[in-house]
Amino acid sequence: MANSVNISVEAPIENQIQEITYDGQEIYQAPLSMSENLARLAQKIDFSKTEDEFCNIKKEGESSLDVKSEEDKEPGYQSSLWPWDSVRNKLRNALTEVCVLADVLSIAKEKRYMVLDPIQAEQIESRPMVQVYGRKKALSAAGAVLLNGVERLRASETMRMTRNMPDFHIDLLRLRQNWRLKKVSNTIVGDLSYRTAGSKFSQTGVFEVTKAPEEQIAQAMSMNATGPAPSALRVTVPPELQGVAFISVLCQKEQEDVVTATLSSSALNCPGTLPGEGAELHWQQKLEAAQNVLFCKELFARLAAEAVQLDASIPHMVVGNQIMATVLPGIQLLIGLCHNNGQNNNNPEGVKSEGSGNKSEHDHVLEHSLHQLLRAVHHSNTHHPFPHPASGPLGPSKRRSLAGPMAADRYELLEMSKEQSLLEQIIQQAQHFFMRRRSEYVLDTIAKEVKDPLIVSHWNALNSPTQSCVKINIMAYGYDAVCRTSLVVHVGEKTLKCICRDGKVRHLSYELQELRDLIYCQIYQHQMTAVQAVGRCMGWQLLASSSHLGSGPVEPLGNASSCLLASPNGDRMIAIRCEPSVGIQVFIAQSPRKDFFVSELVQDKKWENLGGAFKEVKLEKMEGKNFLNKMELLMACLSSPL
Amino acid sequence: MGVTILQQYPVPENKTGTFVIDLLTKRLLALGATQQGQFLVDCESYLSLPQMGPTKTVHVLHNSEQPASVFSILESGSKNIHVVADSLFDLLMMKLSNIYTSKKQTKMESKGTRLELGDFCVKLGSVTMNQSFKGVLIEVEYRPCVMANAVWGLLREFLQGLLGPSVPVQPPQHFLSRMNEIYTPIDTIYQYLEHFSAFRKSTGLRSAV
Repeated sequence: MANSVNISVEAPIENQIQEITYDGQEIYQAPLSMSENLARLAQKIDFSKTEDEFCNIKKEGESSLDVKSEEDKEPGYQSSLWPWDSVRNKLRNALTEVCVLADVLSIAKEKRYMVLDPIQAEQIESRPMVQVYGRKKALSAAGAVLLNGVERLRASETMRMTRNMPDFHIDLLRLRQNWRLKKVSNTIVGDLSYRTAGSKFSQTGVFEVTKAPEEQIAQAMSMNATGPAPSALRVTVPPELQGVAFISVLCQKEQEDVVTATLSSSALNCPGTLPGEGAELHWQQKLEAAQNVLFCKELFARLAAEAVQLDASIPHMVVGNQIMATVLPGIQLLIGLCHNNGQNNNNPEGVKSEGSGNKSEHDHVLEHSLHQLLRAVHHSNTHHPFPHPASGPLGPSKRRSLAGPMAADRYELLEMSKEQSLLEQIIQQAQHFFMRRRSEYVLDTIAKEVKDPLIVSHWNALNSPTQSCVKINIMAYGYDAVCRTSLVVHVGEKTLKCICRDGKVRHLSYELQELRDLIYCQIYQHQMTAVQAVGRCMGWQLLASSSHLGSGPVEPLGNASSCLLASPNGDRMIAIRCEPSVGIQVFIAQSPRKDFFVSELVQDKKWENLGGAFKEVKLEKMEGKNFLNKMELLMACLSSPL
Repeated sequence: MGVTILQQYPVPENKTGTFVIDLLTKRLLALGATQQGQFLVDCESYLSLPQMGPTKTVHVLHNSEQPASVFSILESGSKNIHVVADSLFDLLMMKLSNIYTSKKQTKMESKGTRLELGDFCVKLGSVTMNQSFKGVLIEVEYRPCVMANAVWGLLREFLQGLLGPSVPVQPPQHFLSRMNEIYTPIDTIYQYLEHFSAFRKSTGLRSAV
């Protein structure tokens, strides 16, 4: 336990120090006693002040204060004047005056020595002529104002009639038919935002409608005699919505250097400006452009917010007016807002040409898709799912309403609650676009490289932004009725699904090589089945076939397949071995051996029927348009009785 | 929703329901199951008033597996009519309180843990009627399959492995008529209703069915 410490509390010193003696003692000025304090305050009262004369008296008051301050400057409080003296004098004067007034009133009341009589006020002379003149002047002034207005109206009317000038009211009617207008006190304002269509964007799109000055119209008409008449309205659009804007969507290979990516993309100007600069632009075009700018701003703001909020494996970057998202490994999606304000750009020439180059690469389809997605969001904001009473528009979605009666379980309900954001949707579309392009490229390359069986691919005309189908037919020229291998490839966002004729479903990733390998394997399988089909047509018998041969060296791609065909009369055999990497090898053998010689071990002649060794056929030296044709000719040749 | 089978596990004479549930839980956890929370199936019955004619019963059941739905089965005479509705159905029943009175004392509940083992989903529930313990119900669901025909053998094998030889050879009565139809959640509810009715009728603990 600590020792207690005494603490003393004192008020600070209020009195001024008058003198400090040599031994350090301070002598304070004695504080004013209460009566002295009252005297000091009473001195400040100025009895001669009244409410009317406050301003005048103030100067006197100041002078009296000065007098008082002079008095206070006298040493100490031992003034010779009694502080209450002035107060007493003033009160005595007031008392005197009040007594006099009381005396006068009492004398007047007696009516013996003094009487109070009313006096008539002075008559004001009436001067009727002056009045008349005054009124005439006032009326003429009013008349002049009215005549002025009439003159203006008449002048504009005649001008309109004679020179066929545009009529303000007709133009206003046209404007009103297309846009929402409202009269606010003196001005006409309109709204060009998408608010009534379901947008919840905070930026307003308010524009003002004024009458175009006549000189400008006359000037425009004289300059542009043959073109359409300028309108009598002028529309003022807020400055942040002026000009032209669009959303540029670029899919490009990933730039190694992020800095160059941003630099080159910051050069994304909007070279397109509205035709006809300045105020001569027709109001419809101006308003439409401004509405488009507002729409693009809303779209970009929404995408940027989602890009920051979303948690992707490779995070999206938002830099200034650009959003960078990774679509596939090595492929980037750049979404930028290009807004050309209509003011002069301070960009050098070289950069401008780069900008125009960039604009040509910009993907219009994805941009349109983005517009559609935002419009769909607007639509769902206003159109609530049925059934709902007219008084209660909001409610659960249709799927949620059905979830109860359909006994949906927790997993289904959880999935229902997940919503896809705009950015995710556009990324999916971009991914699918890339997958489709890659698959097209692969198929076209294979079709160009491989001439022997023909690869025909039919893309479905109907597809969705995230899925397409292609049907691939592999057939040989001239033998398409004999054998045809077909497969269907469903192109998704990041994967491909291949369904072959035998029912096998294979899921491939986004790598090009996998599709290529698959098609090659299918081609060689086709050759094998086709040869067997041709053999059947020619009457040759299939002795054996194997689609996954275990003999021979290990194949780098797929498996080797083989088949063994025997001629109708059994004396010839054809063996075919097909490998996707090496190609096709054909061997023939003859049943009674030509090179059979009786030896000591094998003495009977009948052993010549066992069949000879297989000899390879040089396919490239053979006649025939393609492999199947060659095989057919070979079979025909070997079937002949010779 | 896969095919679900409901089985009552008899509680031995000198043991409590919690002991049985613990035992089964331990068995399942040893098999490698993971606990996935709680489940609750409850049933409330409403009787129609005598002035409506012959007495009809409406059973209103909720299943936490389908949280957005309310199941109701109307038993009138020999017919059973079922309705699967949104959760607002409860409010509707409240409005009908002067036609259908609820028998509060027979509110049944089966509550317990939900375990998942591969494609199987096992729910161990202790059945209570107004806070008095009545028995143990085990629900096993095989999620991938929706045809009772195809999966009865598999389910029976699984149950045997878990519960021992007390599993009957024949599928429950409710199934017998619809082995070839697609299994829907209302079928589970029918099974629950069967078991709950049996529990209601028995006094004290039920022996094996």
